[in-house]
Amino acid sequence: MAEQALSFEDVAVGMDVPALARGPMTTVHLMRWSACTENWHKIHYDRPFSMEHDKLPGLLIHGSLKQQFLFQVLENWVAPRGWVWKVNFQFRAMNLVGETLSVWARVTGTERLADYGLATLDIGIRNAADGAESTPGTATVALPFRAGPPLPSPFAPPVKIPA
Amino acid sequence: MSILTDEIRFYVGKQSERVFACDPVEKGAVRRFAQAIMDEQPKYGAEGIDEGGQSLAPPLFPPFMFRRPLGTEDPISKRAEDPDFDGLTLSVNTGLPDLPLPGLALLNGGAEIEFYRHARHGEWVSQRSRYSDIYERESKKGPMLFVVTETDYETRGGDLLVRVRQVNIRR
Repeated sequence: MAEQALSFEDVAVGMDVPALARGPMTTVHLMRWSACTENWHKIHYDRPFSMEHDKLPGLLIHGSLKQQFLFQVLENWVAPRGWVWKVNFQFRAMNLVGETLSVWARVTGTERLADYGLATLDIGIRNAADGAESTPGTATVALPFRAGPPLPSPFAPPVKIPA
Repeated sequence: MSILTDEIRFYVGKQSERVFACDPVEKGAVRRFAQAIMDEQPKYGAEGIDEGGQSLAPPLFPPFMFRRPLGTEDPISKRAEDPDFDGLTLSVNTGLPDLPLPGLALLNGGAEIEFYRHARHGEWVSQRSRYSDIYERESKKGPMLFVVTETDYETRGGDLLVRVRQVNIRR
């Protein structure tokens, strides 16, 4: 039986979003992303340059690829009715080729609006081997009410009416 | 000593011209992108259509559409014999004036991304950037400047797709 689509009523503070595993991340994954985005920065595929010239500990997983995974973990959770509105993150530490990334999110707040609800979350990316966090951040997703109308498309952010 | 001078503050609010990507949203480019991010959903394929009858691009596809147009100088060949060339080339810069911060390193501090709608196959996408904030924080290694650049990615008709607030750290 297909799982029911997520609605605002299904969400509570403290809830963990199903984590997303990406990896082990190989040089080939990184090269594929570099070629796809025409990003020729050698620190992602030229190991001697990265380690000997730039004195880095290895080949770096692109921040631009990690941010895709942050969107995915949320989109997988809210699809098909919800919307990933805001994703905010900091690049605090490097992730190196060979790592498996564990992309996580946890609900920190909910807000019921007139036509739909918002959920705020803490998010991040951990090295699955040691749990080290590299990309902490926050996110806001919009979710329809179970018996409510679909979300506005294109997504229209809520208008706050001053109290 | 502060590195946030009045000369630097003057740049807050400066805005670039609106520029279009050299190619529209191409189905082959969307396929390669979806495969590279390991998110191969049918809605990104030529047969996958949304409720409006359109195939879509992943949420963060538009910021990566700005590539070097055909016939412009090839920076890779230009620096082929430079042993210090790190391969980093800007496909298309933001169009904003550079901040006068010679000698200060640039670190990618992260971003805030707002997502409003998927780009659709065949659409043309533009970008326009502005310095939305510049502020200073103290660190153990001295003052650091946080430069926030806000870029809007829009369709030709002016629909906002994605807004990115990129934070670059200069120190």
